[in-house]
Amino acid sequence: MNAIEVRNLRRVFRATIGTIRRRTKEVIAVDDISFDIRDGELFGLLGPNGAGKTTTVKMLTTLLIPTHGTATILGHDVVHGASAIRPLIGFIFGGERGLYWRLSANDNLRYFADLYHVDPDVAKQRISELLELVGLAGREDEKVEGYSRGMRQRLHIARCLLHDPQVLFLDEPTMGLDPVGARQLRQVIRNLVAQEKTVLLTTHYMFEADALCERVAVINHGKIVALDTPEGLKRHAEDLHIVEVEVFGIGHETVDQLRQMPEVDTVSVENRDQKQALLIHSRIGSAIVPQIMQSLDGNGIRLGKVTVREPTLEDAYVRLVGGEA
Amino acid sequence: MKRFSNSVRIFFSGAVLSYKALFRWFRLEPYLATKVIAPLNQIMFFTLLGTFATGPDTASFYAIGNAIQLTAMSGIYGVTMSIGGERNEGTLIYLFGSPANRLLTFLGRSLVHILDGMLGVIMGLIWAGLLLGVDYSKADLPLLALTILITTVSTAGFGLLMGCLSLVTVNVMFINNTVYFLLLVFSGANVPLANFPVWVQRAAHLLPLTRGIQAARQVIAGASFVEVAPLLAGEILIGMCYVATGYLLFSWFEMLAKRRGTLEAF
Amino acid sequence: MIANLRVVRTAFVLDIKQQAVDLFMIFGVVIQPLLIATMAIYMLKGQDISRGIYVVVGSGMTGLWTSLLFRGTFGINAERFMGTLEGIVASPTSLGTVVIGKTLASVSVSLLSMLCSYAVAALVFRLPLTIAQPVPFFASLVITMLAFISFGLLISPLMAVNLSLTGWVNALEYPMYILGGFLFPILLLPGWTNPVSYLLAPYWAARALHLTSSGVATVPDVLLCWAMMLLLGGAYIAISYRLFTVVLRRARVDATLSLM
Repeated sequence: MNAIEVRNLRRVFRATIGTIRRRTKEVIAVDDISFDIRDGELFGLLGPNGAGKTTTVKMLTTLLIPTHGTATILGHDVVHGASAIRPLIGFIFGGERGLYWRLSANDNLRYFADLYHVDPDVAKQRISELLELVGLAGREDEKVEGYSRGMRQRLHIARCLLHDPQVLFLDEPTMGLDPVGARQLRQVIRNLVAQEKTVLLTTHYMFEADALCERVAVINHGKIVALDTPEGLKRHAEDLHIVEVEVFGIGHETVDQLRQMPEVDTVSVENRDQKQALLIHSRIGSAIVPQIMQSLDGNGIRLGKVTVREPTLEDAYVRLVGGEA
Repeated sequence: MKRFSNSVRIFFSGAVLSYKALFRWFRLEPYLATKVIAPLNQIMFFTLLGTFATGPDTASFYAIGNAIQLTAMSGIYGVTMSIGGERNEGTLIYLFGSPANRLLTFLGRSLVHILDGMLGVIMGLIWAGLLLGVDYSKADLPLLALTILITTVSTAGFGLLMGCLSLVTVNVMFINNTVYFLLLVFSGANVPLANFPVWVQRAAHLLPLTRGIQAARQVIAGASFVEVAPLLAGEILIGMCYVATGYLLFSWFEMLAKRRGTLEAF
Repeated sequence: MIANLRVVRTAFVLDIKQQAVDLFMIFGVVIQPLLIATMAIYMLKGQDISRGIYVVVGSGMTGLWTSLLFRGTFGINAERFMGTLEGIVASPTSLGTVVIGKTLASVSVSLLSMLCSYAVAALVFRLPLTIAQPVPFFASLVITMLAFISFGLLISPLMAVNLSLTGWVNALEYPMYILGGFLFPILLLPGWTNPVSYLLAPYWAARALHLTSSGVATVPDVLLCWAMMLLLGGAYIAISYRLFTVVLRRARVDATLSLM
């Protein structure tokens, strides 16, 4: 049984620019995507900023009407069956907004419990359990305006679980959490799936998608470029070996030079404190090292460590989205 | 010479920026709503209330009073906001840190609001003439214009002081609304000053607008320059006092903030 | 149904909590009506002394309207800015139910303005303030609240359609004071505006309250006012129901539920 079915979903935004002479500009945020998510599956949506992840989730949570295509959640259409869907789903968009700052966490939760028609006695019980779960117990009577970002994120999580929804949409849920908190949340997500809830997770933390998701869809420029299990996706980069070279102060032209080399697939640059790491994806693996050394040496770049390693999900992702991440 | 040209520059750059800030959100409908319709509504409401109270032939009293009082829309909301708004934007500390002459900076900014204010009053007077039967045939129009100018400048001066006050007290919008309404009540726009207890009348004469409204009514009824000169002189004097007080207050705050290190409170 | 009532109650309580610290509302609900009352008292000086209660009721009505207008206009838009509008729309509860709660809060708090004017008129100006027909008066007050709530339900979605409409809010304050006959009878207005007044529930509210407080009300008079308030209120609710559906649909198509 499919909890979520998406068929040829498309969303176009029209923006008007200018005050006197107004022009309309069309942006295709989601471009003809299709996928299914099974009951009880933990599905990941991975992609760079602006890829269309949030737009997709907003369409599935009945907040946006698609321009074309259809989607159903638990058999109900997102446009026409919105009122049937709403009690059954929970979602987080996270961040600073979406909560009442002038009110306490408790007030916020009670309000949302009421909005979701949760019985008051059940709500009371659940609120205290959830506060415990997300680590906010004891601070629930403070106003949200005094909360740190991480605390607000946790409150969001508690909020979306209040009505015990069947399907959950988590848009970058661990954003803003410290490592311990993030790990705890991941365990919570695993528990939810163990309770046979369906979860759609968007993230741009690769290891998180790798660790949690049964299947991952990689989305870029509004299109799904790959959909597979994390293992399956890694195979996209299987033929690639990653050469990682530490350098001190490399410029754009040198990186571009490297990109031009025939056996080089992609090159991405990571900043690590005082140095940078070049991640060179190449089909010929370690055999490319001499060429790279020559090129860098010729440009007078100082080198650090050089390692050759197996591809990770991140590497597959970089390849799929073309090194723009 | 350089100081002079600098000063002139500050004055006009403030004016131009203020103009841009005012019209950045320019869209026809809200502008019409706030500058043309809302003033008309105020005049209509109070004139009708007034004629209900004192008879249909007293319409002019209220219509003129409200039309002149409209200058407070720019003089208070505009000018007070130009200072108080700095605090909201967080740019006040940059102003404190600059060597620019404070007085000229703020006076420059007020220029736009003064022009805007005068336009508002003229609009109000036109409505009063068209719809409420105010008769301008006996009025010395240049004198009326002078009266409007003086009243607007004096109200703007008051606005400057209010702006400075809003820096250390509450929310500037609260000050805007309260001051605007206080002026409406106590300036003689709607309530003949004689109706108030004596001490209130004395206090009312410390406000801007009070003499200006009186003068305007007299001018429209046919008074000459000589007859209204004392009122106009009084209005100018009051205005200057407010500007001076506002300036002193602002300088004092600045010094206090720098000395105590409470700049961030601004 | 019970669940929806619970939402109304919670929305009401939370809105009051948020209003209590909002200076802007304190001005609109307390200070402005007080100053209008003061002005009216002085302007009407030397007139029939029973004007006392007339001014209190009239200025109270202005407070009711100003509060309803501003909170209705900015209610949904404020939720949009806070990012909470999506949370409400995506919930099983309809936006209209939440707005009822918020409007109830507006109306309740602004009854305070009538109370303040009453206190000031009694203590500062020492005007006699007897309400001639108390039972019909308070009954009228209750129906007034209902009428205003339904009007607020109409304003909310209207102003949420397009952000630029909120610019009109300043131009709508006084016209209601005028057409509603809050502080002077609509006899003073040109005849062609009367039908407009008759379509406004606040007009009938002011009429009922003025009549019952000054003691000249007859039973048919008062019943007519109540009937009109209930009828118009029903009409406003029906229209607003349709409006909410349209506005929400529009927002989901145009992606204006949030600011991003």
